Amino acid sequence: MSGQVWVYSESEPVANEVATAAAAVAQGASAEVRMVDIGSVRPATRGSGGRLLLKGPAGHEVSPAVAAEALARAAKDLAPLAVLLGATRDGREVASRLAAKLGIGCMAEVAGLASDGQGMTGERNVFAGKVVAKVRCQFPAVATVKVGAYPKAAAQPGESQEKDVGPVSDQTKTVGREKKPAGAVDLRSAKVIVSAGRGVKKKEDLAILAELATAMRGALGCSRPLSADLGWLPEEHHIGLTGVTVKPDLYLAVGISGQLQHVAGMKDSKVVASINTDKDAPIFQASDYGIVGDLYQVIPALERALAARR
Amino acid sequence: MAGLDVGYLAAYALSLASVAAFALAGASLAHRLSISLGPGRVAGLGRDEMRRLRTGDPVFLMHLSIALGVGVTIADAIIAPFMGGALLLLDIFRAASVPLVAGLVVAFGWRVQRYSQSMRIGRGLGVTEGFASASATLQLVLMGAIALTTSELVLLWFPALGWADLLLGALRNTLITIYYARPSVNLIAKFDRPLHSIRAPFNLADVMAGKTDPEAIRVGVSKVSEFPADQSLSFDSCVEIGACEASCPATAAGRPLSPRILVRKVSLLSRTGTGRESEVLSSVSEDELWSCTSCGACVASCPVSVKHLDLVYDLRRELVSKGRLDKEKSGMLANLAQSQNPYGFKNSTRAAWAEGLGIDTLSSNPKAEYLYWVGCVSSFDQRAQRIAKALSKILKGAGVSFAILGAEEMCVGDPARRLGEEGRYQELVFQNIEKLKSYGVKKIIATCPHCFNALKNEYPQFGGEFEVVYHTQLISDLIREGRLSIPPEKVQKISVTLHDACYASRYNSVFDQPRAMLKASVDDLREMGRRKEKTFCCGAGGSNYWFKVPQQESIAGIRTQEAAGTGAKTIATECPFCLSMLDDATKVSNSGMDVRDVAEIVAECI
Amino acid sequence: MKIAVCVKHAVDEAELKIGPGGSPLLAGAAGKMSTFDKNAVEEGLRLKAAHQGEVVVFMVGGTESKKTLKEALAMGADRGVLVTADTVAIDALRTATMLAAAMKRSGRFDVVICSEGASDTYTGQVPPMVGELLGIPYVGYARKIEIDGKAAKIERSLEDSVESVEAAVPFATSVVSEINDPRYPTLIQIMQASKKPVEELNGEEIAPAGSRRGVEVLSMSSQPTARKHVMIDGSPDEAAAKLLDALSKEGVLK
Repeated sequence: MSGQVWVYSESEPVANEVATAAAAVAQGASAEVRMVDIGSVRPATRGSGGRLLLKGPAGHEVSPAVAAEALARAAKDLAPLAVLLGATRDGREVASRLAAKLGIGCMAEVAGLASDGQGMTGERNVFAGKVVAKVRCQFPAVATVKVGAYPKAAAQPGESQEKDVGPVSDQTKTVGREKKPAGAVDLRSAKVIVSAGRGVKKKEDLAILAELATAMRGALGCSRPLSADLGWLPEEHHIGLTGVTVKPDLYLAVGISGQLQHVAGMKDSKVVASINTDKDAPIFQASDYGIVGDLYQVIPALERALAARR
Repeated sequence: MAGLDVGYLAAYALSLASVAAFALAGASLAHRLSISLGPGRVAGLGRDEMRRLRTGDPVFLMHLSIALGVGVTIADAIIAPFMGGALLLLDIFRAASVPLVAGLVVAFGWRVQRYSQSMRIGRGLGVTEGFASASATLQLVLMGAIALTTSELVLLWFPALGWADLLLGALRNTLITIYYARPSVNLIAKFDRPLHSIRAPFNLADVMAGKTDPEAIRVGVSKVSEFPADQSLSFDSCVEIGACEASCPATAAGRPLSPRILVRKVSLLSRTGTGRESEVLSSVSEDELWSCTSCGACVASCPVSVKHLDLVYDLRRELVSKGRLDKEKSGMLANLAQSQNPYGFKNSTRAAWAEGLGIDTLSSNPKAEYLYWVGCVSSFDQRAQRIAKALSKILKGAGVSFAILGAEEMCVGDPARRLGEEGRYQELVFQNIEKLKSYGVKKIIATCPHCFNALKNEYPQFGGEFEVVYHTQLISDLIREGRLSIPPEKVQKISVTLHDACYASRYNSVFDQPRAMLKASVDDLREMGRRKEKTFCCGAGGSNYWFKVPQQESIAGIRTQEAAGTGAKTIATECPFCLSMLDDATKVSNSGMDVRDVAEIVAECI
Repeated sequence: MKIAVCVKHAVDEAELKIGPGGSPLLAGAAGKMSTFDKNAVEEGLRLKAAHQGEVVVFMVGGTESKKTLKEALAMGADRGVLVTADTVAIDALRTATMLAAAMKRSGRFDVVICSEGASDTYTGQVPPMVGELLGIPYVGYARKIEIDGKAAKIERSLEDSVESVEAAVPFATSVVSEINDPRYPTLIQIMQASKKPVEELNGEEIAPAGSRRGVEVLSMSSQPTARKHVMIDGSPDEAAAKLLDALSKEGVLK
């Protein structure tokens, strides 16, 4: 039997992304991919290889502790070359505990995975995204795969395997789970932020920015005058020195002049684009992309262009 | 002259006793606190009173009328029995009484107005009933003293009622002995203490050198008894005149602060059950302390030299020591600790604005005559960078040799000090002084009044003596000396009003210079009512730029309205913080006014 | 209650300098207490205020990292344990092994608090590894911790949900930044904290590495961080299309 690369994530869509990463590792290591299920089969997970069902734990409540213990017991017997997980919060925990149980290395939130047959390499962002580190770990190894870095794998046939790891108990007990309210703005963790400034003429016009934010799967922020002085948006939307500090992948500043008060709160954004009628607006100095234009024309155009792409 | 009957003699004796009591009370207090009340101090005070009267504040008209009215009536009372035929003296007193009565009547009217205002503000801030009645008592005493003095002056014209004059005088003197001996001593002790002086509870150099044990350092104040004696004297001297409250931008904006109430609460606290061992923060709220913009209007307007800001700084220091800071405040301090600027920008990029402009750094041109101290705002704010560029253009145009520190410049320390983190402030100060000395810097230009004030007035206490000028001083000199000429066709045809920065005008008396710049560069300069040393804050001072305080309206908004009231289309500023605050406020109000630094306006003309 | 808090002296990414070859200059780079570790210390202090006891700060690092330990002590922790090791050369499991070994030497802790991840490398692996190596229950990403006697109730903040978890003391946890507002220690307090006890342990002695290699860093290269300042022109529709093209090329369009 050739070596195996295991894929596990508590999130089925993420598992399918990890499967794509696992295929790259498996290819380099001449190994097979196994989609791991714990407790019960999740048919929505699919990947370029076979399945492995770990029997023992009850299928409906697989906490990180249970997943880590089940994977560790199976790994001790079946000796996979690598176990790849999704770099979700739960996934990071499972991976770390698994690595600690097995005493092996764990690469965190990697993309660009490859294998030289003896181990695997990957790339990860460090120092707030300013530096990319190439890391390597000798087999057997654990890794969490950056979410969103790989496309979801297409379904492929493969053999199924089962392994009984026995009952696994958890020392902690989950007594409740609530969805975070969808309307709650958590600008600190938002990946895309559309931010409104005084170029917006009246409160009602914020609706078109909110629509754009939704279309871009982002959150709506604003500069200080809109929340503190005009009260058009609650304080938690206020980005800047006296508001929240944000680090999204994309920051779209709309009608914001770009005072330091504001810029200090978004300066660590990965990409900044801005729209302003004033070609001398300071915000353009803090932007990667700038459009000199009327937001009332550019924003609808952006929405149309986005819709056309999807 | 009244007959020398027994009743008159008794009244005279009473009057003399009351004068003596006042003098004794003042002298013994001064002696206890080792304060000199010599003639030199009193004469100096007189000159200072005249200077303040010229600012046109009703409070100083009131103050002077009371002081002179009391002086005249006491003099009259003492010498009345011996005046005999010396009617000339009486005539002089009578002649003086006319303007004094007029002044006192105006003062009384102002008092009535302040009374209703202060009661309203007190209700708004939720003061206790005990506090309100103590307030009312003091204010009624003041009105009573004014009424009594006025009556006495009027009675000068009715010799037959001399005995009544003496009795009223005795009553008034008793009041002032009880209530005004302390403020009088405080005034004589502190009238000439500069607005910019701040108590440094330790010297970091001594701590580093091992001369002071850090364990022994007490930075803030928690109990009333921990205030230094001169500070307690200051707070206990408040007699509820209310000039501070009337000039305070925080009070005007509906923030939870009145300098009068703050000072009085602390003073009254020492008279409660736990006395001087009471915790000050038990009666003062955090928002109250953070509401202060350190603009200094309260201190500058107080006729009896109460130093409200001392209290604010000592209590902010206490909050900082106790870790009672929100994210914005602790974040700013952490940025200063980590990045040497309050925004958390990479400090080595602070001279990026100067790239390609041919501006020297001291390391490339150590012989430059002036060091231009750019300051953090003009280094990092894309808008304020235009001030730095404008000054550079002017200096180059006038052939002034200058250089910047570039990446070696750090925050001057002011935001840390105003927030109450004295240690971090002094750390920055000593690092900056070391750097400046290493280049042998002699002259410094600043475009930020907070940097200017710190470098000019505070650095010397830590061994950093430099000749520091504000950019408006240097530029107006260049214009006057003809080194910078603005041809008539370049004079801008715009209407401009100047917003004086507190730390330039009130703190450092620099206010004629920016006007001279504007007179040379624009054709229509309009003035706001609150100007020069009586300017109204933009709302950013005292580190308020970095955090939020509950308020009903914005201080910058109030100021922008006042500016719009002049009909001017441009607000000229002289401080990058004012520029930022007023620029935001004009956008909020949609007034269409533009906001520019005076240096930008001049640079556009050359 | 005995509370252990783990902190890291992290590279200050804002001040990080890049060498001529494009790799970051880590030797002598400015360091600071990892951002979220301040929340971990604060939470330890909060628990101590509520339940009495002692807060001990553990750190793996070189001597230059004492600054961070001092900062934690200035915030109010009682004493510190520094495990000396070259943090650049070791991986998360090695760090966690040293921390766990140091904790075991110091007796039994009721609560072990880490932050969700270091602000420089952000692997987020050390906290669960420490919990695993100590053999105590672990609950990560806590945004709220309540302890009543031996029972703890913790709210875990996940990507789009919040879980309530019950655990018994002793347990280990990692906290997210929303759990509290960490206090700022003043410069004088940091100087005063110099007198608090700090124990130094040698990492290799308390937890020998053996032959394990772990995760190795092969190379590091910097990403351009200066803003591009590209101005996009054309009609609103043209500009919008060009902007979206550029953003998808950057990989930031979701």
